[in-house]
Amino acid sequence: MSRYFLLLLLTSPFILLSILSALTKYKLGRSTKRRLVTQLIFWGLVFIGLASAESIYVWLFQHNLTQTEPLSLFDVIQITAIIIVFYVANRSRSKIEILEKRVQELHQELSIRLSVKK
Amino acid sequence: MPAPIPGVGNLKIRMDIKNVNINNNMNTKQSTPKVCIIMPAYNESAVIGPVIESLMKELKKTNYLTSVVVINDGSQDDTSIVARTCGAYVIDHILNSGAGGATATGLSYAEQNRFDIAVTMDADGQHSAKDVIKGIDEITKRGDDLLIGSRLINNKGMSKAKIIGNKGLSIITYMLFGIHSTDSQSGLRIFSRRTLESLRWKTSGYEFCSEMLWRAKQLNLRISEYPVETIYTDYSKSKGQNNWNGINIVKNLVKRRIAELMG
Repeated sequence: MSRYFLLLLLTSPFILLSILSALTKYKLGRSTKRRLVTQLIFWGLVFIGLASAESIYVWLFQHNLTQTEPLSLFDVIQITAIIIVFYVANRSRSKIEILEKRVQELHQELSIRLSVKK
Repeated sequence: MPAPIPGVGNLKIRMDIKNVNINNNMNTKQSTPKVCIIMPAYNESAVIGPVIESLMKELKKTNYLTSVVVINDGSQDDTSIVARTCGAYVIDHILNSGAGGATATGLSYAEQNRFDIAVTMDADGQHSAKDVIKGIDEITKRGDDLLIGSRLINNKGMSKAKIIGNKGLSIITYMLFGIHSTDSQSGLRIFSRRTLESLRWKTSGYEFCSEMLWRAKQLNLRISEYPVETIYTDYSKSKGQNNWNGINIVKNLVKRRIAELMG
């Protein structure tokens, strides 16, 4: 199996999940159209970049714009790990943000209610 | 029977409340709007007393149904006791949550208690009570949703460093969010009922000032400004935002902008 294909195979589930999550958030009214478009462009570019990695490499090599070795198995693992980290970091950040907002609201409400009792 | 308004401390205002109770119709309510003046405070015991007293003295001269609410943002000094002694209604934050968090609590309180207008002002004495009343008059007259008391329309008394810092932050606010404001960091703001019901923001530090404008723009609220005077004392100079704080605000605003795009 081509290493470039393997790279695409390993990373595409995370890219698709991110796109799906962005679409779901928008459809459920938890995100704006602008945010959806930004996320689609970002993950779309990542996907296109990975899908055409071999062609880009060949073109760059033929035009003497790169002297690097073709993709190794280690590179495949490394790039996959980067994509996963991106995916996990983005999810964690948005979850932390939701939690932060809830704690803030709880604190607000608690302060208001306790002040009434004084 | 409408809920009593805490923090109301003069005979004239109490008489007005009685009138509202008796004549509970729209006309009476429209002629005497309920106004909540919110003062987020953190370790301000040295100055908050005179600030509340001078504010209440000026408010007695008006016909508004007013309530002064101090949000004690986890102060370690006697801010809460001093404010309560001076007749303000005090909401004590259990944890220190920053100017943005304290302001949000105040506005949430105003919304829950069905105030028609809310005003936020600094507790360090840099805003004059007359400007607060002028702002309430203006928003009632103009019908705006959010009115900002701009210290930079007439920047007399403000140091050059503060002018540069505040103008810089206003420019950055424009670049990031596309909102033009001469003083995006002003703490003196007047909110309509519509704004109280809809406006929310996510940041809790000083950067909430810019984020609030951005959210208001997203909600298509009518934002305008009016000139206010700034009273700079040695105390307020030492307490206010300095230009290093400004850098922190910019950093947090950029982070907020990126985070908003990424989901």
